[in-house]
Amino acid sequence: MRLPGERLSLRLPVRALVLALVLTLALGSLIAVSLTIGSYDMSLAQVFATLLGDEVSRQMTTVVWEFRFPRTLVAAFVGTMLALSGAALQNVTRNGLADPSLVGISQGAGLAVVALTVIWPDQSSALRPWVAFAGSLVVAALIQGLSWNRRGGSSIRFILMGIGVAAFISAITSALMTYGQIDRAMSALAWLSGSINAAGWSEVRMVTVWCAVLMPPLLILSRSMSALQMGESTAVGLGVRASVMRYALISVAVGLAAIATAAVGPLGFVGLIAPHMARRLARSGVGLHLLLTALIGAFVVTLADLLGRALFAPIQIPAGLVTAIIGVPVFIYLLQRTQAKSAL
Amino acid sequence: MTSQVSHNAMSSSTADSASGAWLAYSAGLPVMVGVLAVMFGWHIAVGAKSLPLSTVLNALVQYDPTLFDHMIIRDLRLPRAIIAVLVGAALSVAGALMQGVTRNPLAEPGILGLMAGASFAVVMAIGVFQTVPTVWLPWVAAFGAMVTAVVVWLIAQWAPGGATPLTLTLAGAAITAFLGALISVAHLLNQETFEQLRVWLAGSLSGRRVDVLSVAAPWLCLALGLAMVLSRKVTVLAMGDDVARGLGVRTGWLKVQVLLCVVVLTACSVALAGPLGFVGLVIPHVVRLFIGSDYRWIVPYSALVGAAYLLGVDIIARLALRPQEIATGIMTAMVGAPLFIHLVRQRAS
Repeated sequence: MRLPGERLSLRLPVRALVLALVLTLALGSLIAVSLTIGSYDMSLAQVFATLLGDEVSRQMTTVVWEFRFPRTLVAAFVGTMLALSGAALQNVTRNGLADPSLVGISQGAGLAVVALTVIWPDQSSALRPWVAFAGSLVVAALIQGLSWNRRGGSSIRFILMGIGVAAFISAITSALMTYGQIDRAMSALAWLSGSINAAGWSEVRMVTVWCAVLMPPLLILSRSMSALQMGESTAVGLGVRASVMRYALISVAVGLAAIATAAVGPLGFVGLIAPHMARRLARSGVGLHLLLTALIGAFVVTLADLLGRALFAPIQIPAGLVTAIIGVPVFIYLLQRTQAKSAL
Repeated sequence: MTSQVSHNAMSSSTADSASGAWLAYSAGLPVMVGVLAVMFGWHIAVGAKSLPLSTVLNALVQYDPTLFDHMIIRDLRLPRAIIAVLVGAALSVAGALMQGVTRNPLAEPGILGLMAGASFAVVMAIGVFQTVPTVWLPWVAAFGAMVTAVVVWLIAQWAPGGATPLTLTLAGAAITAFLGALISVAHLLNQETFEQLRVWLAGSLSGRRVDVLSVAAPWLCLALGLAMVLSRKVTVLAMGDDVARGLGVRTGWLKVQVLLCVVVLTACSVALAGPLGFVGLVIPHVVRLFIGSDYRWIVPYSALVGAAYLLGVDIIARLALRPQEIATGIMTAMVGAPLFIHLVRQRAS
């Protein structure tokens, strides 16, 4: 089965592998730069020394270890999760415009977390990821149910449905915030536009633990993803239990997006940008594509967070706003390239 | 307004069945006006302090400035009710016209991005010039709405398959997200200036901007009148460009007129109450269920039903979570979004 493709694909993984290496280095240097920039200026050497455990000065240790390092780590991990979630969603729905925040999954997690904060303000931190997961799972099921029809979905219709669902959920979230009188609290507003401002070690712990839980299933599923890409009947012909795979993939995608949202709030368009960019930069098999997607996602969100806090310092722009401003032009560009036949 | 429309209708309805429908429809108008009046009174009576309807009536008919209740009604509640009526009518008529001209059941000033454009223009003007004279506010909003309408149309036009209902809607949603993010950034950069705009940006009637009301109301009413005049040709245009041209309608000119009308209606609404989404989507669809596809009836009924609807929604927004008040835009989205989803679903089958 792989024979015809093998001759063609021989040369290309090299490019993808080099790209993965370049991206890793770029991400590393971006993180390093991001650690030096802020209201308290430090040199790269000082940052490295502090990270390696030398105490250059107490202030530096505090700034790096308590504020900048956890924040940058959360940004990178959240970017990875959202990008992979977007890639999985695009694969399952065979829809190039799918993104967890566009189809309402992030908003579902947001609503669940706000509801938890309003109803049981005391125990929000421990339950948060579970509640977010439940909320986005319900929304995913809702969209799946709504967009099901015998003729098979059109991609634009699916996205429009998601936009409607997202608008509805956002309205309920706002009403809940009015009810809980947290609509005036700036922190809630910042969280709802996707901000990494407040991220600390507890968020790092949550994000890394869940990454470790959700990555292996995604890797196992990635083999059947390449079969699913060719269409459901082909996948079935290739021996993939398509419906089981589909539900498993959706669950993983929802889980990744839910945890990311629970940590920093809904960050839009990352899951849309990263997989497309990865495909653009290098053609590769599904596994390598996922790796590139993850690296690009981490890079984009780290960069968005850095831009958000550095551009107009001391005012911090939530990373979610930066990703939206970058993401919408990409979305419009992709809309221009969507197949006419899928436009209904 | 009513007599003019019925005159038009009389001159063109020849068949018996048509005149029967015409009788029923024109009989329905006074009924709707009655419903609107009741909602208006109820809207004023309800609030932090409930007032009996008789007091409301007294305050409107024989105003006594020494009575505290009368002062509440005159200065606080009456302007809000008038704004609700005007904005509800304007948005519903704008939605009806857009749906007719673009033959797009999803068209609505909010969904197609016009409201975001108007809000963005107002926010930018205030950000740059600090204060914008109230007289200019509707025009700044109109400029933003107009530019956004053209941009959204161009994006959809470039997409494969052209400006279909779905690509138009998607382009509108994308532009709304983009401008929304820019508005939030502007907000964060200049918090003192924008604190006063925060409630307005959520879509709210609680601002009670009486100064804006006096500026925007004449233009809004003028645009409603123009909509009434255009409604006959819009009915023809809704059957298709070729049919309309065959019947002697200058379609290009008509579309420009409708666009101007929609932009003024949207801009005045946004200046008065901020972006209130989905009103222009819900009302024309409800009206069409009862009235059919004749825009000579859809336009006036949309105006009346829309006004009554927004009064009702605002009553709920004030009562549901007393003593807090939900932004009216949240309520209209809660009602409108499910209908939007239903319409998207319907397009496929």
